[in-house]
Amino acid sequence: MGLFAELRDSISRVSASLFADDSEPKRIGIYGPPNAGKTTLANRIARDWTGDAVGPESHIPHETRRARRKENVEIKRDGKTVNIDIVDTPGVTTKVDYSEFLEHDMEKDEAVRRSREATEGVAEAMHWLREDVDGVIYVLDSTEDPFTQVNTMLIGIIESRDLPVLILANKTDLEGANIQRVSNAFPQHETIPLSALEGENMDEVYEKIAEYFG
Amino acid sequence: MPHQCTNCGHVFADGSKEMLSGCPDCGGNKFQYHPGDVDEAPADPPADADAEPPEPPEQEGSSVAGAVGRAANKVRDAVTSDPDPAARTTGDDAGATDAADASSADAETDPVAPETEASAFADEPDADSSSAPETGGEGDEPAEAIDANTATGDEDAAQADARSSVVDTDSLPDAPSEGRVVKEPDDPDDRPDIEALRQELNDQFESIRIVAPGQYELNLMELYDRQEYIIALQEDGQYVIEVPDAWETDDE
Repeated sequence: MGLFAELRDSISRVSASLFADDSEPKRIGIYGPPNAGKTTLANRIARDWTGDAVGPESHIPHETRRARRKENVEIKRDGKTVNIDIVDTPGVTTKVDYSEFLEHDMEKDEAVRRSREATEGVAEAMHWLREDVDGVIYVLDSTEDPFTQVNTMLIGIIESRDLPVLILANKTDLEGANIQRVSNAFPQHETIPLSALEGENMDEVYEKIAEYFG
Repeated sequence: MPHQCTNCGHVFADGSKEMLSGCPDCGGNKFQYHPGDVDEAPADPPADADAEPPEPPEQEGSSVAGAVGRAANKVRDAVTSDPDPAARTTGDDAGATDAADASSADAETDPVAPETEASAFADEPDADSSSAPETGGEGDEPAEAIDANTATGDEDAAQADARSSVVDTDSLPDAPSEGRVVKEPDDPDDRPDIEALRQELNDQFESIRIVAPGQYELNLMELYDRQEYIIALQEDGQYVIEVPDAWETDDE
């Protein structure tokens, strides 16, 4: 029952923090479809402000299959200090198929296991969205079409909870990045272009994090 | 130029049938609707995203479906609210709606606008024959459109029909001087009821459907809505879940 015990502990921490006063850091979930660069962004933020990383990044979708947290990330902007917990979540999708992992030189057993874990990860991410986040950074790959069911649904859920949300159009370093398309898709929110991998435009990202979640 | 591929930005002329078979450039099958003229390059943001702070959505309880609906509406409003109806060439209310519907290739019948209806589907092999039943020619009451077709002699009926829908522009009613050209998105006839749609989806499967080992379909709304927290999946279809009661008793 190790998993349960661990889970209970983390739940207790979460519940405790729910009733804590305002000085507690806000918990900001990094959400988005698989392979949008959520972990790369989480690592970039964590490295810039704490020196540590959050988790491994890879080109294979669903590398992150458990929500990972980096606590007490202190971001300083314009003399203001914002204290946040970064939660890097598994990519949200409506379908997980092990066969897509086979293309990445993975054995079938391993691919099936990864697929099951990814599914659990999506369930976990959705659960966190319901219970445990105070704000959302929604990361999109700006080379991909943002008009998807998952994106519309998640943004809708986030809006229904009245959570502050920042939309990041990631991967601007890649050819074919189309920031305009992302901001057209969600005109009711502010879209900030960035390359988490190259660290482009991170200043604006931090500025907005301080503004939205401070 | 009402339609634009959301993937590559290819713009389609009003009433174009090209996009019925997908974008010729990139094969994309999603198109957004611009009532006014748009450039090949993506247009300016419909809402001024830079200057305007994101407004919190109206508080309407915790209805997620409502919010999803609102989000869809907002997106839809934004892409349809370009206030330049005069720029439209056909300027016909029904035509605009049909053109918007055309991407779904939904063979609806609309007796009010038989010409535009037929023109939208004139590429389809049976379009010429379809114009007859659609215009209410069930026997002895031939509609005007059929008369027009037969008058052109040996010209293919679909061609003639498509051509006449272009030529007839002058005789169409003037474009509305203000307001929107397409129907309000909230019009119940115009958009599917998102609530019903979601219910249907929810009924189809629960939160996680195991298609085969390693293949899963997820119902995100159900996963979001449920109290229990799924922490592990078994290959035999069982879940391991943590129920909320257990949390509370452990939580001193």
